[in-house]
Amino acid sequence: MDSSAVAPGYRLTEDQGLLREAVRVLADERVAPRAAEIDRTAEFPEDLRQLLAAQDILALPFPEQHGGLGGDLLSVCLAVEQLSRACATTGLILAAHELGALPIVLAGTPRQQARWIPRLASGEWLICFALTEAEAGSDVAAARTRAVRDGDVYRITGSKRFITHGSVSNLVTVFAVTDPEAPRHRRLSCFVVELPTPGFAVTRLEHKMGLRGSPTAELAFDAVSVPVDNRIGAEGDGFEIAMRTFERSRPAIAAQAVGIAQGALEAAVAYAADRRQFGQRIGDLQMVGAMLADMDAATESARQLLYKACAEIEAGSPDAGRWSAMCKLVAGDAAMRVTTDAVQVLGGYGYIDDFPVERMMRDAKITQIYEGTQQIQRLVIARALLGKGG
Amino acid sequence: MGALWVVAEPGPEHGLAKISTEIATLTRELGASTGMEVVGVVIAAEPAEPAAELARYVPRVLAIQDADAGVLAWSAIAAVHLAALAEADVPDLVLVGSGPDGRDVAGALSALTGLGVLTNATGVAWAGDGPIVEMSVFGGKLQTSSVFTGGRGIMTVRPSVTTAVPAGTAGTVAARTVSASPLPPVRVVDRVSEAGVAAPIEEAKIIVAGGRGVGGPAGFDIVEQLAEALGGAVGATRAAVDSGWIPYSQQIGQTGKIVKPELYLALGISGAIQHKVGMQTAGTIVAVNRDPDAPIADFADLLVVGDLFEVGSALLEQLRGRSG
Amino acid sequence: MRIVVLVKPVPDPASAGERLGPDGRLDRSATPAVVNGNDEYALEAALKLVAVAPEGSEVSLLSMAPASAPDTLRKALAMGATRGVLVTDPALAGSDAVSTARVLAAALRMLDYDLVLAGVDTSDGVGGTVAAAVAAHLRLPYLSYAARIEPDEAGGTVQVRRISPTGYDLLQAPMPALISCTQALGEPRYPSLKGIMGARSKEIVGRSLADLGLDPAAIGGAVATTAVRETRTPPPRGATEVVRGTPTEGAARITELLAARRLI
Repeated sequence: MDSSAVAPGYRLTEDQGLLREAVRVLADERVAPRAAEIDRTAEFPEDLRQLLAAQDILALPFPEQHGGLGGDLLSVCLAVEQLSRACATTGLILAAHELGALPIVLAGTPRQQARWIPRLASGEWLICFALTEAEAGSDVAAARTRAVRDGDVYRITGSKRFITHGSVSNLVTVFAVTDPEAPRHRRLSCFVVELPTPGFAVTRLEHKMGLRGSPTAELAFDAVSVPVDNRIGAEGDGFEIAMRTFERSRPAIAAQAVGIAQGALEAAVAYAADRRQFGQRIGDLQMVGAMLADMDAATESARQLLYKACAEIEAGSPDAGRWSAMCKLVAGDAAMRVTTDAVQVLGGYGYIDDFPVERMMRDAKITQIYEGTQQIQRLVIARALLGKGG
Repeated sequence: MGALWVVAEPGPEHGLAKISTEIATLTRELGASTGMEVVGVVIAAEPAEPAAELARYVPRVLAIQDADAGVLAWSAIAAVHLAALAEADVPDLVLVGSGPDGRDVAGALSALTGLGVLTNATGVAWAGDGPIVEMSVFGGKLQTSSVFTGGRGIMTVRPSVTTAVPAGTAGTVAARTVSASPLPPVRVVDRVSEAGVAAPIEEAKIIVAGGRGVGGPAGFDIVEQLAEALGGAVGATRAAVDSGWIPYSQQIGQTGKIVKPELYLALGISGAIQHKVGMQTAGTIVAVNRDPDAPIADFADLLVVGDLFEVGSALLEQLRGRSG
Repeated sequence: MRIVVLVKPVPDPASAGERLGPDGRLDRSATPAVVNGNDEYALEAALKLVAVAPEGSEVSLLSMAPASAPDTLRKALAMGATRGVLVTDPALAGSDAVSTARVLAAALRMLDYDLVLAGVDTSDGVGGTVAAAVAAHLRLPYLSYAARIEPDEAGGTVQVRRISPTGYDLLQAPMPALISCTQALGEPRYPSLKGIMGARSKEIVGRSLADLGLDPAAIGGAVATTAVRETRTPPPRGATEVVRGTPTEGAARITELLAARRLI
């Protein structure tokens, strides 16, 4: 378990450095000016989604042979981090796009990949990941949406809750029960539903604390017909595909959290360097300086763990699940702490929407919840430490 | 002992470039302090006029006539003649300006003769076996004294390092011919004058410059009026040039020109390093900026915090009132 | 159209860490290196020229630099250059303009091209003489201070607008030719993500002095024709006076200062 014995350290390559810089510039110039408005209007930023597509940022997670840029996990995370620094909703566009597509990338047949990836890479299509249900959040295997085989199609009936991008997607990667009698982890299969399609409806859009520009939808499936060819993997592979997906999608959420924390830290530092009370910059007052120092250390530790986790996961570590859970756990908690402290540093001004930190604090909370709650992450890590069996 | 050569660069209307009169003065003074011979070299299609003008500054001028110098790019023509002349007469030091023509001829001459080059000099003295050349590097952060390891070489000199002062008596002009195989010719198809191109700002004693704060081409109006009232030239930062508000010829900074005027008045300029390196050695730097924490506050002599249009208009009024 | 762009890694001017080493030579380890600013303009011009007729066209980078240079050339490759050629040799440390020109000329003799583009000068030396010297070594037509470049491939010639004190001169010469490039050619593009990711697989060919047929003992730092004897930091400017108040008050203070210093 001692990580120092494992080979992959990481060093940002020249192109990763260039990539980070390119996305940073884009985020500063084109995304940041829109962030407050996106939060205020709670409208999905279609303009920024098109910007990301035009800049090939949405192509980053996909293989080159299908029109992607073949970016490794760290490269995708660098992009999510820089975008999220300016606007967490925009960072999520890339992260959720990757999440929805990962089952296809990891477990799809060459034909399936050739069919769907090109237009996902170009950003023409968006894709969402529909696993969670009203009664199946942390308990993934308790899902009830049903997929019944009928000749050469499946009919899917049920509903999914809290689906990011559910209302703006062209493809839905949905997990449904194909064998209710099977053991818990073999009940689910994974399907790609192409929209529009009869029987599919968006029945609700949530009003959220944060990430308000990101549409979070309830999806209803009423005997939605899906060709057998649209099933990813074999029947019963759904749970395993989901777990493999999380190994690569959780770091992206960690990257979002690190980005949010960084944005909040920068806002707090700028304020503390400028605001004067008691005849000096408040940053020079020890209690404030100490907070900033802790915020910086928390952000940087989360970042370093994230980058290391990406290197490990990309290298195929057998411990990938643990790395993925750890980086998401640490980053989510760091984001919540750093943003809360950022509001504190700004005092009264931190509480009003003239300054971005209150939005960042509201945005940060979800990183402790989705993509597996912090409690689930701890479960994953503890199991990795102790091994299965009692 | 060898000689000190000053190479005349072509000026407007078949005349002599202003920088050549400055360098001629500098070379003459160096010759006087060392007892070395000073020679001016003119290469032109019609050398008589520039040679006579140069002879006002140095005791002896060699005039080389080459018809091609009027219709082909000058530096390649001049370099070939100079190389042949240098092989025959073996000068110790060849001085030329650090503008485009001077650099071009210095580079080609260096390749043809193997002589080293020291560039953008701000001064030169003699020490025993060769010249010691003063240069300012890293955008003015450091000043260096350099030598030629073989005691002989070529140097390019910055504008306004010396004031041009004619000698007491006019020097002699002698025609000279050298033969040499030419470098590939480059034809000058046309010479185009564009409206609004000002005198080269490297030569200006006063520069009024506008940056991003000026906001647009109309905003440069106040910059131009102030420049006129002060008898100076208009400068700009890269931001203003890239936005198309003012031509590249007026750009000051790392990828533009390096200037050393007596007064640099910076309006709406933040003073970021890329611009700073172009003007930070100016005698007096005055800045007008809305932001009291702009980087220019670190190295200006005077920073007026305010709107550049309001302060600029008030300043214009006061300046006109004085001369009125 | 085949274009070679001369690029030089230089200490990043924005980092303010440029300094000379104890031997009076530029200390290249002091700050991270970036491609010289003016060279990026030359590269941008080259990329625009080949974009007109991309079939069979390519833009190659040529650089004489320390062995760590490939990282610095990545950004130039990401902008869209096809490949890089890097001449590197320990003997070349401390090279002056004379050696640099000879080495670049020797490297160019091994390449095929219609145009060679170079920046007018470098931020770490600001000499501005190397391009002319390279052209002279190779007996290439030399067109300098270009604000516009217009090749006529069919006719085998190129026209260049050379900036002049009054406007510009229109120059023309047969290709192959060497052109030094000014910023007026147009702002360099920021590499696209596609360009950045694509640069990973582009090749950088290494060349030693032996490959170029040059004797390490007769070129480079050992035979430098110039040397720095002494350095000084100029005296600091002194404190900045900051004036707030009405525009009239501010203007009055300026007028006062200028009068005191006899500038008006």
